[in-house]
Amino acid sequence: MSFRLTPLQRRSIFLCLMAAPAAIHVAVFALYPILRGMGFSLFQMNLMQPWIHHFVGLRNYTDALTDPTVRRSLVVTIIFTVGCVAAELVCGLCLALLLWRDSAFNRFATTLMLVPITVTPIVVGLIFRALLDPSFGLIGYWLLQAGLAPPQGLLGDTHTALATMMGIDVWEWTPLVALILLAALKALPADILDAAEIDGAGGTRRLTRIILPMLLPSLFLVLALRFTDVFRTYDIVFAATAGGPGDSTNLLMLLAAKEGLTFFDIGYGSAISILMTLCIVLMVALLIVTLRSLDRRMNQA
Amino acid sequence: MKRRTLLATGIGTAAAMTWSRRGWSQSKPFDGMTLRLACVNDQYSPGIKTLAERFKQESGVTILVDILGYGELQTKITTDYVGHTKGYDLATTDNVWAPQLAEAGYTVTLNDWMKHDAEEMKLDDIYPVLFPALGNYDGKQVAFPLAGYANVLAYRKDLYKAANLQPPATMQALVSAAYKLTDKSRNQYGWVANGQKGAACAQDWMQYLAEVGGVLVQDGKPTLDAAPNVKSLTTYRDLFQKAAPPGAVNWDWDGREASFRNGLAANMQTWSVGALGYFDPTQSKVTETAALMVTPTATGMKPRYGIGGWGIAINADIEDRRKEAAWAYIKWITSPEIHKALNLLNAGSFLRKSEIHDPQLNQKYPFLPVIDESFTHGDPDFRPRVPQYPQIQDILGTAVNSALVGASSPQDALSAAQTQALRYF
Repeated sequence: MSFRLTPLQRRSIFLCLMAAPAAIHVAVFALYPILRGMGFSLFQMNLMQPWIHHFVGLRNYTDALTDPTVRRSLVVTIIFTVGCVAAELVCGLCLALLLWRDSAFNRFATTLMLVPITVTPIVVGLIFRALLDPSFGLIGYWLLQAGLAPPQGLLGDTHTALATMMGIDVWEWTPLVALILLAALKALPADILDAAEIDGAGGTRRLTRIILPMLLPSLFLVLALRFTDVFRTYDIVFAATAGGPGDSTNLLMLLAAKEGLTFFDIGYGSAISILMTLCIVLMVALLIVTLRSLDRRMNQA
Repeated sequence: MKRRTLLATGIGTAAAMTWSRRGWSQSKPFDGMTLRLACVNDQYSPGIKTLAERFKQESGVTILVDILGYGELQTKITTDYVGHTKGYDLATTDNVWAPQLAEAGYTVTLNDWMKHDAEEMKLDDIYPVLFPALGNYDGKQVAFPLAGYANVLAYRKDLYKAANLQPPATMQALVSAAYKLTDKSRNQYGWVANGQKGAACAQDWMQYLAEVGGVLVQDGKPTLDAAPNVKSLTTYRDLFQKAAPPGAVNWDWDGREASFRNGLAANMQTWSVGALGYFDPTQSKVTETAALMVTPTATGMKPRYGIGGWGIAINADIEDRRKEAAWAYIKWITSPEIHKALNLLNAGSFLRKSEIHDPQLNQKYPFLPVIDESFTHGDPDFRPRVPQYPQIQDILGTAVNSALVGASSPQDALSAAQTQALRYF
């Protein structure tokens, strides 16, 4: 008795084998740590107190949700995320449109634009911290002399620190958004755009009726990437302000890292991390729903 | 006769060689062993690395020195201890980690070994305050003192002289001098300290608080919002707002030190380990005008000079023979001769009375009498030595910074901190 596989079965096995490395990678490096984290979050567990290790159910979650520091951090993180992503999207789209036409200058500008992305975020944080220092900083000193910064500098005042950190993040990551959208713009079918121009559609009309609807998949990619990335921001803020002044730039990721890596409170730190993951999942789900409905509406129009 | 002499010489030489080789191998009981040391990136770390070669020559033991940042060191050794992975045999440990290390039993308790080798190690030559300060909790010596730092006041003698002021003998005089020496029109400020949220501002305020008599933990309970603490934070905030350079609320150790070395600030409380830099023209603009003195305390108060620094601990998980080798290394690196050699390599980290009184070291470090006085009357508990210290430091790091930037009043900031701290006791 011998097995003979049908072509369909052979194809299925081939596809499974091809997908296996990626599936194993995701299972080992993404799924397993998340599941372990979920498990840890149900225990009272501190590495520096190994004798205390017991199941507490959802207590770490209820503690986190009622902790005023976590709540403040959640609000700061949401403001930071929404502000950064919105600014990066608008600036990135503008830059991409400006650089769309193929010319020597635009090619040169696109190359230059890559510079901020290549710098490690922690270095970006340190550079801006030095630049904006009101006593020693090249920018901070003159801003203070000109009366354009508060006495303790832009990063030392609770009213300006978060906005400044958002500005730094936008400076670093807008080029990435612009590059993705530029690539998408360059891939748009020229005949449709030409036809619209011949039909007399103005620049704004072409942008809102043709270009943006066709850019929706790329916009989704950019938004999903940036929302998940910005929500998990750590190093740039850690280096520039360490979460201060007060709690004004104390992002959730800083809080989770401190609980886990400074206090070694793995249970509580994991609970905050899982809550963050849920927030990200929720945001991306909302994004998908919004973009789908937008897509439907545009197609109907 | 000649041949007989030659023969005798030959036999004698061979015997001597045999004996000496036997003696040599006996003095190298761990020959060929390799120990891994996790060492914080601090002033003494390059010296530790340099001297590892000498230890290899003398003992046959290779010390692989892994120099790590503070946070990285803490994370790496903790995960090593928790996972029992035996990645490091030895680790430098911050003095504030001792309570947690002692409670968890992650490092070897050294009391018996110290008792056994007290004479050989000349333990009575080490300042007594350094034992509790750099690795002891509840009687357990979980790390041996490696690098002792004294909290000192660095000040500008030219500015004091110009203002016709004496160096401050009390904390009240220091505060008053800080205001008098502030002249914003000349970009001159009377005071600087760490203001950045987190460990930076918490540690500097704790030192200031100790000098005015404040207490953070009493009878095993936090007292963060006690009236003297609130009063001290109010004065401290005022100093920051009226006498500190712009941006100081976001400075950690680097910013604070840079402001003093650049001549921006007239007074700064700091750790003695960095003091050598003030007199080095490649790093400092105040080489001729900087001076050090013991930290002043409030009028009528007994001195409470802050003691900090690093201990060196042995991983409790490693095999006994490796523990013995690690202990041999600790004895060697903290011995009078080698520790002096470490300080000649710019470590600025002192342990022994013999070092403090050594003429060669006094020439290199002209401020050693200040360290002598600080170590003699030092306070190992100016930062509470309790297992909850990391949490207290973090909570205070936010509270003090909030008060400094005006986001909360000192009373509100410390009350909120007290509520948070109670969760951990």
